[in-house]
Amino acid sequence: MAIRKIIETISDRSKFALVSTGYILKKPKYLAVFLLSFLVFLYFLTFFRDGSSNWQLIWSGLAIDRKLEILGRIFPAILENFTSFYGITIIFLSLWQGIVVTQIVFALRNREKEQSLNGVSTGGIGAVLGFLALGCPSCGIGLLTPLLSAIAGASAVALSETVGYALTILAFILLLYSIIRLGYINFIIISSKNYKEEHAKSH
Amino acid sequence: MQKAIRIGLLVLVVGFLGALVIFNSINPTPIDMTVWNEQMTKGNKETATHHFIMYTDIFCPYCDKFSDAVAANMEHFDKHYIEENNILFEIRVTDVNYENGHSTNSRPAGEAAYCAAKQGDFWGYYYALLAKIYKDYHSRGIGVDRYSEKIPTLSMDYFYNIADELDSIDRDKLVSCMKNNETVAELDKNTKEAQKKINGGVPRFFFDKFTADGFAGTWNTDNDYKEVQRLMDAGLASK
Repeated sequence: MAIRKIIETISDRSKFALVSTGYILKKPKYLAVFLLSFLVFLYFLTFFRDGSSNWQLIWSGLAIDRKLEILGRIFPAILENFTSFYGITIIFLSLWQGIVVTQIVFALRNREKEQSLNGVSTGGIGAVLGFLALGCPSCGIGLLTPLLSAIAGASAVALSETVGYALTILAFILLLYSIIRLGYINFIIISSKNYKEEHAKSH
Repeated sequence: MQKAIRIGLLVLVVGFLGALVIFNSINPTPIDMTVWNEQMTKGNKETATHHFIMYTDIFCPYCDKFSDAVAANMEHFDKHYIEENNILFEIRVTDVNYENGHSTNSRPAGEAAYCAAKQGDFWGYYYALLAKIYKDYHSRGIGVDRYSEKIPTLSMDYFYNIADELDSIDRDKLVSCMKNNETVAELDKNTKEAQKKINGGVPRFFFDKFTADGFAGTWNTDNDYKEVQRLMDAGLASK
């Protein structure tokens, strides 16, 4: 019975979140926030997708024009994401991260002073996990394997692929949680705003 | 309270990651610069002014992208980097992906590489094996990244047959070397040694004082060679 109620609540809140997300993204300035944050996340996720060599090259003794070349070559690499399942995962992670950022910006600009914003920190953790799960854990590149081997020694590397998959799923779950949570809050904000506007008109 | 815990956790995770990235960037792991296997080097060991080392596993797609790009631009690589810049380029073959349970093929491939080195043509065998893996699997999107279909366990003939393409490798000697596990001890010792230096991951490059993990390639040898050049030039600039 309790589980059924929880499922109903999640389902209801998801619908509210969907409505509020649609409403927010129809506004040009929030659409711009979404597009910008989506592209920023996509850029950085692509930057680190094949390990940290890009990062290490940026900090190397290469001439500045070669470093700019590295930064510029990420753009065609972004398009290559569309050609593999791994790349599609990166695009979806960025999309969800972009939605969370847009929801946060909308809520911060429109909330009542005393209204709390549950879901912000969860979204942040989801975004970080998205970066952690990048790379090729089986080859040991990316951020996860060095982290595992620093914490638990080389033997832990055998687990890196499984942990990598788990982190990707966890990142999506946390981002979804944030989208539903913030979306629900924004639905209340939008409804309250609309009610006040209607009320003001009728008087 | 709950919110404070979540924010605290977020700050902790981000801070730890940031510290790790900065630590890894400014503290390159010191490594043994003594050549492991003379056959797996290019350049003049006695007179070289640079020593570039690449830790690899033959069944690591990122490592293969690097080596495929070098193979396709061998003339430029040998002339410009090995000769003109006087680099000793060393490949340290491991089977870390076998040890980590990620590829059953890494071990026979590693053994075969060391057996080929015993016959004096590591480079010929290495590039011929990589070309075959590319033709049979990587070019078809198999074994190219974490989500792609995995390369199946290959028969020993897959490794023996490479010898038929090369005059420098005697097939019978290769078969005997692999059947008698003549190079397993060397492979095991080197893999164990490598695991202390590479954070569990390959490819790892130690190009003089410059270190890098991973390889941002696209299986396009022209584009990927530009990335090879960036890594090599970063190494040259580090001394």
